[in-house]
Amino acid sequence: MASKEQVSRLFALVPYLQAHPAAELAATAAVFGIAVRQLVADLNVLWFCGLPGGLPGDLMEVDMDSMEAGRIRLSNAEYLARPLRFTPDEALSLVVALRTLGDLGDPALGDAVASAVAKLERAQGTQHPATIGVATATGSAEIRRVLNEAITNKTVVDLTYDGLARAETTTPTVEPSRLAMRDGYAYLDAWSVDRNDWRVYRVDRIADVRPTGRPAPDRGEPPRFDPGWLDQLPDAAEVTLVLAESARWITEYIPIRHTQPTPQGLQVTLLVSDPAWLRAQLLRLGSGVLRVEPPQAARSAQESAREALALYQSLGLALQE
Amino acid sequence: MNLAICLLLARRYVEKSHIRTVVEGYAGLSDAAFERTFERDKDELRAMGVPVETGSNNPLFPDEVGYRIRREEFELPPIEFNASETLVLGLATRVWESATQADQALAAVAKLRAAGVEPDPGRVEGLSASVSAKEPAFDTLWQATVERVPVSFDYRGEGRRVEPWAMSYRRGAWYLVGFDRGRQDSRVFKVARVDAAVTPIGRPGSFQPPKVDVEGLLSSLEPAAPDAEAVLAIRGDRAPGLRRRGHRVASSVALPPGFVAYQVAYARQGDLVGEVCAAGPDVLVLDPLEVRAAVGRQLAGLAGVS
Repeated sequence: MASKEQVSRLFALVPYLQAHPAAELAATAAVFGIAVRQLVADLNVLWFCGLPGGLPGDLMEVDMDSMEAGRIRLSNAEYLARPLRFTPDEALSLVVALRTLGDLGDPALGDAVASAVAKLERAQGTQHPATIGVATATGSAEIRRVLNEAITNKTVVDLTYDGLARAETTTPTVEPSRLAMRDGYAYLDAWSVDRNDWRVYRVDRIADVRPTGRPAPDRGEPPRFDPGWLDQLPDAAEVTLVLAESARWITEYIPIRHTQPTPQGLQVTLLVSDPAWLRAQLLRLGSGVLRVEPPQAARSAQESAREALALYQSLGLALQE
Repeated sequence: MNLAICLLLARRYVEKSHIRTVVEGYAGLSDAAFERTFERDKDELRAMGVPVETGSNNPLFPDEVGYRIRREEFELPPIEFNASETLVLGLATRVWESATQADQALAAVAKLRAAGVEPDPGRVEGLSASVSAKEPAFDTLWQATVERVPVSFDYRGEGRRVEPWAMSYRRGAWYLVGFDRGRQDSRVFKVARVDAAVTPIGRPGSFQPPKVDVEGLLSSLEPAAPDAEAVLAIRGDRAPGLRRRGHRVASSVALPPGFVAYQVAYARQGDLVGEVCAAGPDVLVLDPLEVRAAVGRQLAGLAGVS
């Protein structure tokens, strides 16, 4: 018995095989995102599909000799020459992916995305209005244009960068390699000349970019960004916080390993690789953090707070209204 | 599959009794089994987007119900893409991190390939994009939005009954816009705060989303326009987030070496206090006293002094 997913796929597979005579088994499986074994199972179903009446000549035919050689030849299926329309789910998934790409590239890519989306929507008819939106933080189009140019021409640029973790503006010299959209933010993967290593920069934090015209040597591929990288940092320390209601919002913005409600508040466990980052979070949340485990993880924040209070005092700035 | 082919090829409505005799797989079934199988197959075809139409060939006997599929409604109409459009379509299959939507985008592109379009990934260097959806309630809410199924769910401990109109991905987080039946008004929900146990409370297509300005409703999520100003002393290149929003001003007090005074606009005092505290001894509030005192209280709490 054929499953719903299988039948849905067959409505695209049958026209695909007719548009691609003698298609390769492995390549076809890749197009449909399935294993070769599943593709063979699909083809076996086709043996029993065809014109009403069920006579041998009415059914589709898959050439078994070609199959042995890894190629698919399908015949007797001319009446299914075009694929079924998109389902709303397919159309929306594709359109959201396209729009995300369009926000990232140079203006020419944005135009290609806009016209491709318009054609898809026209083909689909008007029954599925734009129910899914995308808004991304990709910085200024001009900065992205200069970065794209440097990537294409393989040249060195100087950045003015407002660092995230350490909240500091720096002016690194980098060799741009790739623009990547992750979680709604655009990032630049680049080789840092000063650090002599790959670095990731958030594009909306790049305040300025200045081309130097100097050619960049070939550094190979930047390391692939892995969403699970936080779990693999060798020197990351596990820290547990108990959060009051006022500080719970932070769990939506930082990667949390475990959460557990307790009578005092929400207990969350996270991995901290940069002590400066944890210090800033503890300072920001203040009394919203009820407990820090291990306690010494909070020491740096306490010292910063004392240092700041001492500065106010030395300047003669009162802290009471 | 055979049912669909039969109905697609028919020029008229095909009656159920006829379907039973000609379609492979139905002939050997008992009456009850045929009824069950036929109804299920028909529902499944409709669920995968096959437009199965019900009607009668005979205006005098409209009770003689038959079925058919109109080819022009079934088939993807002719569609052609230029080279750069083809290129972005090839890239688009790699964008979704969430497996369900990645499969859907791949299925859509497979249909385009079946229609003769040849998306060609890998010709763009230095570009990659991803959309993630880690929120536990995302998949069910996405399905409900696509199929227009009203749902009920717990939102921060409160039960809600919602007609999902639209979803939006903003800065890495998903939001749901819909009509809250309990409150009789439109509402925006952050999907991360929706409990994963989302229950359908109606049939697909059981409401029609109005022509709403979704972006307008979502604008409540953007930071409010600043309406107050503070003067801060900022050390050197530190706290870029605050510096970029402000402009340099003269300081009324002598500042420590390396500090510069900036006037910075803000909307909510609590947000500004958090931002200033996060910078520790790199940012000091000069004015107003109200903000300085709030920062002082938070720092004193952390430092363990009262």
